[in-house]
Amino acid sequence: MMENFELEAYHVPPELRDQVKISRTMVYEDESTRILLKIPSIDRTLIQSLPHHLKKKRSYLAHLPIEKIVHVLDEASRRWLDKNYPLRRLALKTIPLITGFSPEVVEASVDVEMESSLREDMWRALSLEIGNPLYLDDFQYSPQLGGYSRAFGPELIVSIFSENIPALPHLLFMRSALVKSACLGKAARGEPTFAPLYLKTIEEIDPGMAECMAVLYWQGGEEEIEASLFEQSDAVVLFGGVETCRSLMEKIPRRIKTLVHGHRLGFGVIGRQKMNRKGLERLAEAVALDCSMFDQQACLAPHVYYLEEGGEVSPKEFCQVVAMAMETLNQRMPRGRISPNEASAIHQLRAAYEFRELNGEDVLALASSPKTDWTVVYEKDPGIFSPSPLNRFIRIFGVEDIFQVPPALKPIGPFLQNAAVAIGDEREREFIRILGELGVARITSPGKMSVPSMMWHHDGISPLASLLRWCDVEKKDEF
Amino acid sequence: MKELPKEALDLDQKIINFIRKGVDQQDPEGFNRLALEVFDLQFKLIPLYRRYCEKRRIEPEKISSWEAIPALPTDVFKVMELSMFPSQTVRTFMTSGTTKPEERGKVGYDEGGLRLMDATIQEAASSFLFPDGMKTKILIIAPSPEMAPQMIMAYGMNRLKDYFGLPQSRFLVGREGFEVETLLKELRSSEEEDIPVTLCGGSFGFVNFFDTCREKGVKFKLPPGSRTLDAGGFKGRSREVKREEFIKECGEILGIQKKYSVNLLGMTEISSQFYDNTLRNLHKDLHLSGAKINPPWTKTLVVDPEILKPLPVGETGLLRHFDLANRGHILAIQTDDLGRMTGEGFEVFGRSKEGEARGCSLTIDEMTHIEKGK
Repeated sequence: MMENFELEAYHVPPELRDQVKISRTMVYEDESTRILLKIPSIDRTLIQSLPHHLKKKRSYLAHLPIEKIVHVLDEASRRWLDKNYPLRRLALKTIPLITGFSPEVVEASVDVEMESSLREDMWRALSLEIGNPLYLDDFQYSPQLGGYSRAFGPELIVSIFSENIPALPHLLFMRSALVKSACLGKAARGEPTFAPLYLKTIEEIDPGMAECMAVLYWQGGEEEIEASLFEQSDAVVLFGGVETCRSLMEKIPRRIKTLVHGHRLGFGVIGRQKMNRKGLERLAEAVALDCSMFDQQACLAPHVYYLEEGGEVSPKEFCQVVAMAMETLNQRMPRGRISPNEASAIHQLRAAYEFRELNGEDVLALASSPKTDWTVVYEKDPGIFSPSPLNRFIRIFGVEDIFQVPPALKPIGPFLQNAAVAIGDEREREFIRILGELGVARITSPGKMSVPSMMWHHDGISPLASLLRWCDVEKKDEF
Repeated sequence: MKELPKEALDLDQKIINFIRKGVDQQDPEGFNRLALEVFDLQFKLIPLYRRYCEKRRIEPEKISSWEAIPALPTDVFKVMELSMFPSQTVRTFMTSGTTKPEERGKVGYDEGGLRLMDATIQEAASSFLFPDGMKTKILIIAPSPEMAPQMIMAYGMNRLKDYFGLPQSRFLVGREGFEVETLLKELRSSEEEDIPVTLCGGSFGFVNFFDTCREKGVKFKLPPGSRTLDAGGFKGRSREVKREEFIKECGEILGIQKKYSVNLLGMTEISSQFYDNTLRNLHKDLHLSGAKINPPWTKTLVVDPEILKPLPVGETGLLRHFDLANRGHILAIQTDDLGRMTGEGFEVFGRSKEGEARGCSLTIDEMTHIEKGK
């Protein structure tokens, strides 16, 4: 029996729903499911009336105590973590077909994202970045200032989501709400369904808050729409590739606060102390998980894992165990559907490694067969960082000494983001210091690359504090 | 340099005889026989390829059809020398697309291999580019082989010039780059003296030339019989132009008649060339749909990108070419071009954009741009 679903690639406040015309309906189909996804047509009236409406309704949010905002967002995350929550079930049924990710990957990403978006996470993030969260509600005495301070968020944040990691766009709506800003997001091309569903959840819990949130979808590069929305915003948060972000930045007036989350690179490093028989399988599973989560599509994912020689287990032996873990993981959480180009890139690169191996070079190519589900290749560190074609393709570089790694990373410093580090001896601290200087924004343990906390300085910036404007009262009398 | 072994020379002669029968011959068994012979020799004399085949449990004795010959992915040429007689290499061609030498594919040709390529160039061009037998002034928007010895297109176009061109034919990319003023003069004089022109070069070179002509407000009405031959894609070296628009530009700016614009798919890894059938159809009054045509000494399969198994006609997948003229390296080549078989031949879509940068991780393409300082 065919199950039919109708979804919308947008969500706007109820008053404006009549204004959204549907330009076309995309159909996604497999043996058991048919999804009709309605794509909005965006005209000039909507581009004017929607930001206006969101800003007007923002006064509700501006007067809502931060405690209440955290409560609503926490409730939303909890609903999404409930396996019986209808919208979650709808997302898990539909997102795999639309994105190509396997249902297991989509489920894991919803869980990972929502588990790190609970009440305590938000309080911690607020305290870390702002000190006293009550600065968002009213003037508070600041002992450092010796006066009173208050933080104001932008009236309207416009954000372009470009990645299609399921369940990620909610982060921007959360951050906007926490700084009491209205938020208008553009859904990503590949996954325009999660954000509208998330806004439905907010509407269920607090319709007033949902009045300040909207998500639309249009074809990237629509100059008029983008320029007009940026013009009406007070802050812009961009996610996207180097080229996309650059061309979008040109359209943003200079007075507008802009945060950019461009595409990034991750990697891992394991020192010889950790290359032991004991715990080998656990560590290999951790590496495999880092490379398999979100099918390696997230900027958090590693392209290369550097393994130090001289431990009890050689890097090549380690690769064999990682390969087994990749296979096991693929059975539990299968790799999703990929494009012909992506599959081709994997076959081509596998063959290059296979020939080097046949040629007697110190190279190893381990791979799923006959499909491209996963690939592990080993070689001696070539001294330059080579990105992976992704989709569960990990390059493992053997190094004589971990301190050989940083020079190879230097040229790509601005693009470094996430690193898993397990050295296990006194060199670890020094090594981490060097990575920090190079530009790495987050250091964690193998297996934890895909699960940053909400407190993380995303891409090295303070995602909440960077949006704020402060007002300080430096007078002691009459206040 | 010593002579090639007799078995290679004999095989080359058989292949040349086959090629010389032209593009109209119908001899699939002949192709199959020769393909298996080429495979047999490559299996015997190229140890790495043999090991690759053995890993896949394929040996010459075990197969009876060319489709079963293991195909070599093009990226392998970036890391490995895979010539039958490496010590006898007289010419090495390299792929383009990246400035890093270690990331460019290299294909070595021995004397016999070059002779085979020459034969394919002559036979294919006489049928697909000059089916009317017309001699034209060949103007080439590419460097000469002396300037770019590693560029297979320069080699091939030089052969076209020698085999089919009038004496005034010439290359138009010199030490100082594209000699656009010279080309404008050459085209103007052809127009005035009523000498038909064949303008050839990389597709992106044409587009940049068209842009220049528009800026300068220059147009030509080249004599009837003038034609264009463009090869390859745009690869970021000019704006991307759809085929129909390209043909329209050829008409508007050069005065080229419809169907006299021919596109060619050529690859460093493949000795033969795949032409559009447009001009040939026109000349022979054939009512066939447009496609890239396999000359009889080549075959093409479309394979499933995920498992690399052949797909039925009409389905889109990766192109895999089999070329007898590849005797000197590897007969069967797995490309990363998307395309599909049609009734007449095949279509090539190049590398589609679908699926690029799905996530937020930096991609290999982006890295390349960053490294180029873009």
